[in-house]
Amino acid sequence: MAEPMVFREKERFLESLRELVRDGVPRERIRVITPFGVPEVEEILPGKRSKVRFFALLGAASGTVTGFAFTILTSLSWPLIVGGKPIVSLPPFLIIAFALTILFGALSTFLGFLLLSRLPSPRGIRSEVEYGNAFVILVEDGERR
Amino acid sequence: MKRRDFLWLLGVISGSAAMSSCGSPKRSAKFTSYLLPPEEGVVPGEASFHPSTCTECPAGCGVVARVREGRPVKLEGIPGHPVNDGGLCVRGQSSLYRLYHPERIRGPMAREGGKLRPIPWEEAFARVAGALRASREKGRKNLFLSGRTTGSLSRLADAACERLEVERLPEYEVYSHAAVKEANGLLFGEREIPHYRIEKADFLLTVGADLLETYVTPVAYTRKLSSARAGGDFLWHHVEPHMSLTGADADRRFTVAPGREPLLLSFLLREVLERKSPKIRLPGELLAAFPRTTVEKVSRDAGIPPESVKEIADRLVAARRPLLIAGGISTAQPEGLEVAAAAALIQWAAGAIPERVDFAGGENYRNVGTLRDMEKLSARMAKGEAGVVFLFRTNPVFSLPPRVAFRENMKKADLLVGMGEFLDETVREADVVLPLSHSLESWGDVEPRRGVVSLLQPVLPPLHDTLSDGDALLGLLGKGSGSAGGYKNLLAAAWEKRLGGAGRNRLLEKGYVEETLPSRPVSLDGKGATEALRSTGPASGVGKPVLFLAPSIRTFDGRSRILPILAEIPDPLTTITYGPWISVSEEDAARAGVRDRDEATVASGDWKAVLPVKVQPGLPGGVFVLHRDALPAPPVRTDPRTGGPVERIDGISLSKTGKTVEIPILSGSFSQQGRGLIPDPVHLDEERRHQRWTLYPEHDHKEYRWAMAVDLGRCNGCAACVAACHVENNVPVAGTADHLKGREMSWLRIEPFYEKGEVDFLPMLCQQCHNAPCESVCPVFAAYHNPEGLNVQVYNRCVGTRYCSNNCPYKVRRFNWWEHRWPTPSDRMRNPDVQARGVGVMEKCTFCIQRIRAAKDKAKDEGRKVRDGEFTTACAQSCPTGAIVFGNLLDNESGVSRLAHSGRTYRVFESLGTEPSVFYLRGKKP
Amino acid sequence: MGNAERYAKADRDILAAMEKPGRAYLAGLAFTATLTVIGGILWIYQIRNGLGVAGYTHPVNWAIYITNFVFWVGIAHSGTLISAVLYLFRARYRTSFNRAAEAMTVFALMVAGLFPLIHLGRSWVFYYLLPYPNQRQLWVNFRSPLIWDVFAVGTYFTVSLVFFYVGMIPDFAIARRCKEGIRKRFYQVLSLGWKGTEREWRHYGMLYLFLAAFATPLVASVHSVVSWDFAMSVVPGWHTTIFAPYFVAGAIFSGTAMVITLVIPLRKAMNLHEYITDDHFESIAKIMLFTSLIVSYAYIVEFGLAWYGGNVFETGAFRYRALGDFRYLTWAMIFCNSLVPLSLFVKRLRRNTTCLLVVSLLVNVGMWLERFVIIVASLAHDYDPYVWGTYSPTYVEVGISLGSFGMFFTLYLLFVKNLPVLSITEIKEHL
Repeated sequence: MAEPMVFREKERFLESLRELVRDGVPRERIRVITPFGVPEVEEILPGKRSKVRFFALLGAASGTVTGFAFTILTSLSWPLIVGGKPIVSLPPFLIIAFALTILFGALSTFLGFLLLSRLPSPRGIRSEVEYGNAFVILVEDGERR
Repeated sequence: MKRRDFLWLLGVISGSAAMSSCGSPKRSAKFTSYLLPPEEGVVPGEASFHPSTCTECPAGCGVVARVREGRPVKLEGIPGHPVNDGGLCVRGQSSLYRLYHPERIRGPMAREGGKLRPIPWEEAFARVAGALRASREKGRKNLFLSGRTTGSLSRLADAACERLEVERLPEYEVYSHAAVKEANGLLFGEREIPHYRIEKADFLLTVGADLLETYVTPVAYTRKLSSARAGGDFLWHHVEPHMSLTGADADRRFTVAPGREPLLLSFLLREVLERKSPKIRLPGELLAAFPRTTVEKVSRDAGIPPESVKEIADRLVAARRPLLIAGGISTAQPEGLEVAAAAALIQWAAGAIPERVDFAGGENYRNVGTLRDMEKLSARMAKGEAGVVFLFRTNPVFSLPPRVAFRENMKKADLLVGMGEFLDETVREADVVLPLSHSLESWGDVEPRRGVVSLLQPVLPPLHDTLSDGDALLGLLGKGSGSAGGYKNLLAAAWEKRLGGAGRNRLLEKGYVEETLPSRPVSLDGKGATEALRSTGPASGVGKPVLFLAPSIRTFDGRSRILPILAEIPDPLTTITYGPWISVSEEDAARAGVRDRDEATVASGDWKAVLPVKVQPGLPGGVFVLHRDALPAPPVRTDPRTGGPVERIDGISLSKTGKTVEIPILSGSFSQQGRGLIPDPVHLDEERRHQRWTLYPEHDHKEYRWAMAVDLGRCNGCAACVAACHVENNVPVAGTADHLKGREMSWLRIEPFYEKGEVDFLPMLCQQCHNAPCESVCPVFAAYHNPEGLNVQVYNRCVGTRYCSNNCPYKVRRFNWWEHRWPTPSDRMRNPDVQARGVGVMEKCTFCIQRIRAAKDKAKDEGRKVRDGEFTTACAQSCPTGAIVFGNLLDNESGVSRLAHSGRTYRVFESLGTEPSVFYLRGKKP
Repeated sequence: MGNAERYAKADRDILAAMEKPGRAYLAGLAFTATLTVIGGILWIYQIRNGLGVAGYTHPVNWAIYITNFVFWVGIAHSGTLISAVLYLFRARYRTSFNRAAEAMTVFALMVAGLFPLIHLGRSWVFYYLLPYPNQRQLWVNFRSPLIWDVFAVGTYFTVSLVFFYVGMIPDFAIARRCKEGIRKRFYQVLSLGWKGTEREWRHYGMLYLFLAAFATPLVASVHSVVSWDFAMSVVPGWHTTIFAPYFVAGAIFSGTAMVITLVIPLRKAMNLHEYITDDHFESIAKIMLFTSLIVSYAYIVEFGLAWYGGNVFETGAFRYRALGDFRYLTWAMIFCNSLVPLSLFVKRLRRNTTCLLVVSLLVNVGMWLERFVIIVASLAHDYDPYVWGTYSPTYVEVGISLGSFGMFFTLYLLFVKNLPVLSITEIKEHL
């Protein structure tokens, strides 16, 4: 592993990063650690958009389907008349489906995040290396400059 | 597998099976229903029905007891019984609580060292016998005082008193109807209350007589009124000085100034004589007691509008079969004799005797004495004349006025023998207490009126160490001392002799025998009456304002107040449950500046009482009303002419004390507030019966769709249905604290709504709505609609969110806020067909689904559908007027179907779209 | 001061709140914990004896417990508004409040969720309300608004909890760096080993955006569903379509008031004036004023419905509310909710924290009273005049309600000492 380049100022960090990219270091070998999300890094090191959004979509869709299916099937399995209402009463079932859409969507998104970020990471939990408020650039092994 | 292995496996399996069937003793201690009957004649799970007679009041209605597992769980009127014809009043339904009351005396007791201690029967009888001998030797008189007693028991009591040389005193009843008896005795030589055949009349005028509440035989009168009204050609006018339930039900009610009834009756008598029966001549001197008068004078002095006076007179004269009944508090005033005599003369003049006023079938009140008899008794005891005094089913200490000093003088007797069911005010003063069995535990007979014999038979062995009335008397005679069975044989022989073998069998099977009696002509004798009427006329004027001591439909004369259910069921006019109160007119309340629940002091002379006020619409100004049981020992005077009580106290003043008393008034509003619960008088015009456009699909009913019709024209608010429902469905008694929070438990309630001093009653129960708002909001499906149109409540599933009760516009759902406990032995009273509800579950009227089930099961066994009228709900069964009809709406021939489509039908809050299954029929006001 | 120093100072300042507790803190915690325990004991007493020990009457079957439920759920909404909705609107001022607000949401929902259990007649079979497979083949009645509550509030709690936690992951990383001992372990685990790589930040950013996007409709829908507990019934005074927007606005209204009530003392006690400024408070106050106007509008609409509708039941219900047994509460409610917040039109008052504190406390009281009046006064006088009654609470209900406040503040105090009260990462982002 190369030496991490530690910066205390955001501007200096961004400059160095731009330099690295201009110098042609392959994108995959540049690792960046920041104390908070820095939008400029996205511009300098463009990457694919996070796939977390697919988890969101999938979760939400399954929530809607589950909501309607569950309510309709359970109502039909024992058709009890309450208040004279039809057995398959869509307006109230819609509310359940709505709630489950959001619930499954949120949980699925969170799950997706954990999977894609490879968290929780036991190494990270036990790691003693803390960069604190510094902006760090790590260049992976490979071609040395 | 190898054979060895197979045999090994077999051994293991069978061995473990054998071992596991050895249950631990703990596991076998489970509650299991009977598989084998515990005793002879008890078939577990099946009900048997046995006729008997209700003894809660002297009327003697026939009841059939439904017996499950050897104990009665419900009483219902016997259809066809000559007294009540299937109906049963609120007290009769509640009398089951008396049988199972936890405070019943458990065994004979004697006073030792100031306290009552249990002793065995032999010793008790021995003590009494010894005391009888001793007092005879001392030259004192032994006395026997009882309440009204009829039939074989009366004859046995006479015989026993003769044998034991005991003087049998006139029977003591609070409602002795002294004035009526005196008037009839003087005029016709019959000191008796005649049997009134209201069903044969086309015009009934009642003066003060509370026919529907306590007067002589209220259920019979209610039935008769109902059948007369059903005939179509019947009108009922009621005249009273106060406001009563009876007056509220009459077709027309007129308020007369207190004590001025004779003025009106004089006028009517003259009118009848002149216009209707000119051929009848009354002795001039007699007639002079009822002076000629004019409409204007009557109107002015009696406080009735002149057109009303004319109306009553015209109707009375025009009627072909008129009937006039005077009684109740109108005859319990100082002018009572005038009222009763004038009424009797009008009956005579209008030709009502003997078709509609039948002395042959008199109501067996001859042996009932008066208040004056009790004064005399008290005086004799004060003088030390009394040796052994037997007090048999009577409570004079409670009901006699303090000036009679009965309790103090009673103690001067050598030995007091109290014979009753409870340690009431009288029995607890006794020296020897001989506890009596409840009528449902006893053999006997009752003759409610001449010509009717009604059976008393035991439907369960005595719960405590008590004897039936007859066996107790036999025990005093030394026959079969203490052992039951003696009276039964005596009765059997007596019935055989009097009714013949066939008659006796009919009595045992149906519970009653009715004999046709030869008619008994009466002749008018004016002399005695003239003397009496002339002697001491009523005191000049009436000292207004006055207080009336009115009878209570819930407690009769106070004797039923010990039944917890009767305090739980509200008084129909005021909806007050627990606690005494004084009814005050709106006029007087405004003047004294009192409102409901304000405490007030009511005083007259040196008597006063402090009570909370209830404003009573319809009560005329200057008149206050207290129920008879509101005060112990009320200040009642004795009428010098009749000997009866004067239940009017004059010169009343009312002043507020400034405090309020928390009494439970269950009604939140006496006014309908413009909501059209009873559309006539019309507040909301619901005449338009437009087609409802609905998004909901129609329900699919295959065979049955249960519905109910309630005829408000018949309902008189007596609350018999409420009591029946309580008993049938194990509805718990909630108590005062809960009532103050409106948490009464009754599934059915009677809502009184007042409009300009007139009241209408609306029985409100679960409407079993087809689009029930309660069902859709229950999160756990504890309330849903069953295929027969019932809104069912599944107690096991209910989690107690109470949303259903919030969403019910009729608020008929009751929540179990506590775990209600039934003190033994009243827990045995519960109907095993109805599930007990625990704490935290909602309950409500189920249209007696247990009866529906039972009827359907029976019909299925016989391979047919349930017939209309084959069974009905408890409330419908008990209603003495037949106001409630239950049945299958899909059956076009059923009663409920026809009523549901009548021109008078409406449903409550129909505009909400709940589609109730209960149809109400508006009352017809002529 | 360079940025780096500012970042370090932010870390220090904010994490300083998580130092050893002082005497005042411990006294406060002891007090709230005692209230909680008393509430718990009274609840057990109520379960043993039945709901009869509460002041319920017939017809008032719902009273203080449901009032508390709606109150606490309402308060929760404003937290989500600040966290999620303002994030989507990119409102900068949210960063000073959003952690405290999210914590308030989670704790309010925990307290709110207890009340449906407390008010059940048979609390021990509460699981009947959950759709689980059972041998009776019974499911729940999805047509009932109470089941909608189960799903909506359950979803809301879960999503809020996730959102709350997710927002704190980077802050846990900071805390694990700055703390020692067992707490360091605690924060290490909670941080999931977060390093701050750009991959992590990329996914994190999308996660946060989506969570905010999912949580936003919940702000409108959850309290609408709770309001439908009332609006879907036939009770006059409840059965009205204005309820959903009325309650949502009311929820945000009471929630912002609670945020202000919580954060003003927090700022003072933790000396966070640099990070939570008067500008921030002014912005929140504007939201409070705005929602107060909506609530006032709803009051006027209800009056209009009663006046013009000609429905005798509706008119009767409104009259009873204004002139009946609970009239003092109704007028107090109008005073606290409609009149008092009008003072926030004055800029000087908006920026005065004492004034804001007083207004927010009055608003809290007023909003609690509003729920109480809506629930109890409508039930007390509904269709059948025979059944009309009234209501007054018993010590059991009062005790359990105080216990619920105790529980909320206990949780909040514990939060203050153990979790970062401000979103350090976001603050640094905007420094």
